[in-house]
Amino acid sequence: MTAFDAEGLIGDLTVTLDVDVLVGAYPDRDGPPGAPAEVCETLARHRITAGAVAGLRAALFDVRSGNDEILALDRPELLPVGAVDLRDPVGAGGELERLAGSGARAVRLFPDEQGVEADFPSVRHVARRATDLGLAILTGGDVRRFWRPFAGLGARVVFLDTHFYHLGDFLVTAADEPGFHTSTRLLNSPDALETTAAHVGAERLLYGSRTPHYEPVVPLLRLATSGLTPDEVAGVAGGNARRLLGLEAQS
Amino acid sequence: MIIDVHAHWGPWFFTMDVAEVNHAVMDRYGIDLAVVSATEAVIYDAPSGNRALASVLEGTDRLYGYVTVNPRRLADAERDLREYLPTGRFVGAKIHTDYTRSPVTSPQMREALAMLAELDCPALVHTWDASVLDLAQACLDLPGLRAIAGHMGATGWRHAIEAARACDRLYLEPCWSHAPAGRFAEVAAAVDARQLLFGTDATLIDPASAFGAVAAARLTGETAERVAWRNAADLFGLKIPPGHGSPPAPPER
Repeated sequence: MTAFDAEGLIGDLTVTLDVDVLVGAYPDRDGPPGAPAEVCETLARHRITAGAVAGLRAALFDVRSGNDEILALDRPELLPVGAVDLRDPVGAGGELERLAGSGARAVRLFPDEQGVEADFPSVRHVARRATDLGLAILTGGDVRRFWRPFAGLGARVVFLDTHFYHLGDFLVTAADEPGFHTSTRLLNSPDALETTAAHVGAERLLYGSRTPHYEPVVPLLRLATSGLTPDEVAGVAGGNARRLLGLEAQS
Repeated sequence: MIIDVHAHWGPWFFTMDVAEVNHAVMDRYGIDLAVVSATEAVIYDAPSGNRALASVLEGTDRLYGYVTVNPRRLADAERDLREYLPTGRFVGAKIHTDYTRSPVTSPQMREALAMLAELDCPALVHTWDASVLDLAQACLDLPGLRAIAGHMGATGWRHAIEAARACDRLYLEPCWSHAPAGRFAEVAAAVDARQLLFGTDATLIDPASAFGAVAAARLTGETAERVAWRNAADLFGLKIPPGHGSPPAPPER
């Protein structure tokens, strides 16, 4: 054992649902290929028993065939999440209907990868349509800008890129929007989790790793060493996500 | 045993309250010692922050200090260095290139680094992306300079590999709020283990980020020990704690 004993610090913490998992590769990066088997192995190695998974094929190239790949995954640990292309808001509307009809519980948005800004009409349109269809929305993008197209709709949203630098902006918007949640992936200051719990409640925090492109052990360590109560930790580690995605009855 | 070579003491302007949590944050991860700079000195007023930190260091044996150098205020910096380094509680200098708008290639930065080389004072320098290559060039240009590339270039970790391989007086530490998969493993596989250090950026960033990145690299044996504390103890001349004193064999290059 070395001084860097992450397993010892994490202990028996188990994540029952990770909201930020991808399959596929980024063609502009040297990262992992993101094959489903590899992704599942990484999750299992970190005691993450389930992940809400979206596909980069859908995000970057072809929505329909990419989503079909995700919907066809026959792995109980992977909960399929559809994607739409914000560069095609008209097509996105139809794809949202198809996803909702196929039983998907959430749609994931990739504004950074698709070069889409928060005030583009497409984002507001997709936010409204997804909410009307009962889909939760997992979205990338800078929360300081991307809060706005989701506000006032009653949307259930998880901001996947909330950086602790911008935590205050998330907190003041989340105070007005009960459906706003955040991934913990980049909330890795010494007190971001605790500050969020104190201001808007720990139920707004959802463990997210971005496996396989980020190290899942980092948000695991932060959660395991946090000052949250055991019940709050269990919520962040999956209970909150399961509630948000309507999986409580199945768990 | 872990020594954190990139830490801070003092408040930050973000939504966070971490001014008094250094020891608690270190305890979360078994970090024994940390070398800290005063946030006031880094962000606003170097002499005032250095003075405040000197007072804090009198009350703890777990923190060592960096004298923060503003390259635009070199007279102040030289005075602080000559006052604080001899105390033994300050063991290096910190330069943040962004807060002072002083890129490594700027004339004032070159002058500051030359002064630190003259004083044989290790320098922790903020690096991002390709600027780590500029720091390596500064080390080559200034034969006495020993520099730590803070964040090992962050997004530019592959530049950091190239930089460290160009000069054995350039050290790398990994802290960053992002943790792309495999980043530290890639660096550790390509760089001489004698040039690797552990840094967290606490209390701005929780040590979870750097600790997790290093843990994910699954270092073993002597390399893990070098990263955890031995290289830092050697670089800063810190006393090796009892029980950690066996001399290492030279690593394979």
